Amino acid sequence: MAPAAIFVAVFTYYPMIAGSQMAFRHWDLNDLTDTSWVGLDNFHRVFSDPNWGTVLGNTGAWVIGSIVPQLVIGFALALWLRRRFRFRGVYQALIFFPWAISGFLIGILFRWMFNSEFGVVNDLLQKAGLIDQPVAWLADPHKAMIAVLIANIWYGVTFFAIMILAALQSVPDELYEAAALDGAGKARTLFQITIPYIRVTLVLTVLLRVIWIFNFPDLIFGMTGGGPNNQTHIVTTWMIKITQQGDYGKASALGLLVVAGLLLFTVFFLLATREKREVRS
Amino acid sequence: MRRRTAALALGTAAAMVLTGCSAMSPNANGTVTLNMVESLTNPSRTDLLKGLIADFEKQNPKIKVNLISPPTEQADQKIRQMLQSGSGVDALEVRDITVGPWSNNGWLYDMAKDLKGWQGWNAMTENAVKASEDAKGRTFFVPYGFYGLSLFYRKDLIKDAGFSKPPASWDQLLKQASAINDPAKRRYGYAFRGGANANSNATAIIEAYVADKVDLANGYKLKNGRTIFSAPEALDALKTYLTLFKKASPKSSVSWGYPEMVEAFSNGSTAFLLQDPEVIATVSESKSISKEQWDTAPLVAGPSGKTVQPLATAGWGIAKGSKHKAETVKLIKFLSQGKASTDFTKKNSLVPILKSATEDPFYKTGPWSSYVTMTKHPDTYLNVSQPRGVTWWSEWEQKSDADVQKMVTGKMSPKELLTGWDAYWTKKWEQEK
Repeated sequence: MAPAAIFVAVFTYYPMIAGSQMAFRHWDLNDLTDTSWVGLDNFHRVFSDPNWGTVLGNTGAWVIGSIVPQLVIGFALALWLRRRFRFRGVYQALIFFPWAISGFLIGILFRWMFNSEFGVVNDLLQKAGLIDQPVAWLADPHKAMIAVLIANIWYGVTFFAIMILAALQSVPDELYEAAALDGAGKARTLFQITIPYIRVTLVLTVLLRVIWIFNFPDLIFGMTGGGPNNQTHIVTTWMIKITQQGDYGKASALGLLVVAGLLLFTVFFLLATREKREVRS
Repeated sequence: MRRRTAALALGTAAAMVLTGCSAMSPNANGTVTLNMVESLTNPSRTDLLKGLIADFEKQNPKIKVNLISPPTEQADQKIRQMLQSGSGVDALEVRDITVGPWSNNGWLYDMAKDLKGWQGWNAMTENAVKASEDAKGRTFFVPYGFYGLSLFYRKDLIKDAGFSKPPASWDQLLKQASAINDPAKRRYGYAFRGGANANSNATAIIEAYVADKVDLANGYKLKNGRTIFSAPEALDALKTYLTLFKKASPKSSVSWGYPEMVEAFSNGSTAFLLQDPEVIATVSESKSISKEQWDTAPLVAGPSGKTVQPLATAGWGIAKGSKHKAETVKLIKFLSQGKASTDFTKKNSLVPILKSATEDPFYKTGPWSSYVTMTKHPDTYLNVSQPRGVTWWSEWEQKSDADVQKMVTGKMSPKELLTGWDAYWTKKWEQEK
C-alpha cells in the first residue's frame, strides 16, 4: 500500500502541485528573466483574452454536439448488432475498427476529406446535386466547427456502440418474452425494459465520454489546428497552443480551470444520477 | 531476503546512475559524447547530418555525437524544454527567430572568444559573418546557410495563358495567377500562405511596396523611423495581396502553411509559389510535374521595380549548460567550413555561407540561377535584416498570423490590420528604449 501511495505521490501529485504554481507566476519561456509571483494575473489574462468567449462556446458545442448524436447513433447500432444475423461478427469488426485509430490521424484524414478543392466530401455532394460549387469547409469558422463535429461524431459512435452492446447482452431474454406476451410494442419495450435495465452503463458511459471529449484536442488539432482565426479552438486545444507559444503561466491557469470545471461537473453529474437511482429503488 | 532485495535495488540504481553519467562525462578511454539537437528536421536532412557527423567522428575519434531529431512542428518547443532543464544538450540548431529569447534566458553560450582568429571566418560571405554576431558582438550561433524567397512558377501554365515570361512584379503576378486560376479544372494561380507563418508573405509584399523607403538595417522600419506598416504604399500592397487570395488562390489556402503550399505546387495544382530555396529539392522529386515544367524567378518587385530580400537564417550553437564546450566548438567549426558546409547547403538547398560557392556551377544553373541573379543585383533586390531576434517575435507571429487570417476571411480590413501592426511595433520599440 505504502509504495503505491509513494509512487502516485511522486509521479502524479508532485508534478501536478509543482506545475500548478506556474499558474500564479509570470512563466513565459520566451522571457524567463522574470518569474515572479503574479497572483491571479494569469487567470485574468485567460478571462480577458478575446478568444475566451469563443473557446468556451466551442467547448460547449463540441461536448453536447458530439455526445447527443454519438449516444443516439451508438444506441441504434448496438440494438442492430444485438440481433443475430449472418456475418454479424464482420459487421461488428468493421464498425468498431475506427476506435483503433488515433484521433490525430482521424483529424488529418478528415482534413483531406473536407478539403474544398480536392476533398471527397465536396465531390460526393456535387455528384449528388446537393451543392453547385465546392464548399470551403475548413476556411469558414462555422462550417469548420460543423466539419470537426461530424468527424468526432463518426469517431465516437463506436465507443457508445461497444459499451451499450455489452450492456444489452446482459438483459435477460425472459424480460423481452414477458413484454411480448403482455403485448408491449417496440418503443415501450425500449423505454420500459431496455433503457432502465442498462441505465447505469448509460450514465457511466455518458460521464466518461463527456470527460474524454472535453479533453480530446487531437482531432481538432489534426483537422484545423484551431483555425481559421482561432475559431475552432476548444479549451484543451487552446491550452496546447498557449503552451506552444511558451506562455506556461497562462496555460497552467487554464489547466487548473479545466481540472476544477471537470471536478465540479463530475460531482454534480454523479449526485444527480444517484438521487434518481435512490428514488427508483 | 529483504537485504538481498535492497542490495539488488541499490545495485540497479547505481548502475542506472553510472550509465546516466557516462553520457555526461568522458568515459574510461577519454571519449566524449555530445548531444546535438536539430530543429528543422526532415528525414533526408537527418541522414545528411548523420553522414557529416560520421566524417567528424572519423577525424575526431575521441568525440561521439548523438543526434536528436524531434519532429519539426514541436522541435523548438522540445529544445526550449531541454535548455530549461539545464543539461542534456551540447550542440543545437539555433534560428534567427529563436536566438533572441534563448540567449535572453541565458541558455546559449557565447562562442565569440573561442572563434576569435578562426580561419573559417575568411571563407565566409559578409552576410554569414554579419549574421553570426548580435548587436553586442556576441556569437550565439554560426549560420549554416540562408533561406531567401524566390518565385517558383510553372513554365507551361503561363505559356498556355498567353504570357511570355514569368512575373517580375506583384501586379504581374496577380494578373498571371488570375488568368491561370480555374477552380472548375482544379487549377489555381497562387499557393497562398494563410496558415502558419502567414505574416511572412504578407510582410514580403509590404516591404516590396515600400522598398525605396525601407531602413536596410531593420526591414520593419522606414528611413524616417516609423514602421513600414504606416506607409500609404503598405495599404496598396495589402489590397493587392487580398485580391491575389480572392481571385487566384484556393479557398482552403486560408489555413495553408509550408507543407500544404509546397504540396500544392508539387502536385501540379498551383502555378506560383513563393518559397525558400530548400523547396528546389522537394519539387525536383515531384512525380506530378517534370523538371521541364517549372523553374524559379527572382522575388517579385513592388511598383518601384525594387524589392526587399529578407534573408532568414539558422545555424549551430552551444548550450550554456554543456560540459563539453571545447569539443562542441570543434564540431561547429567542422560543420561550418569546407566540404561539410558545401555538402550541407547543396543537398539541403540553402543559400551558401561560403564565398567559394558562388563560383560553383551548381548554383549558376537551373532553379538556382534566380538566386545568383538576385545576388548580382543588390540595388534591385535589397538585402535587409528583419527584427527576427527580438524576444517578442513568437508573440508577434501569433498575432500577425491570426490577423492575416482575419483579413482574408473578411473579419478585418487591410487598413485595420495595418493600423494594428503599426501600433504593435511602435509600442514595442518605445518600450525597448
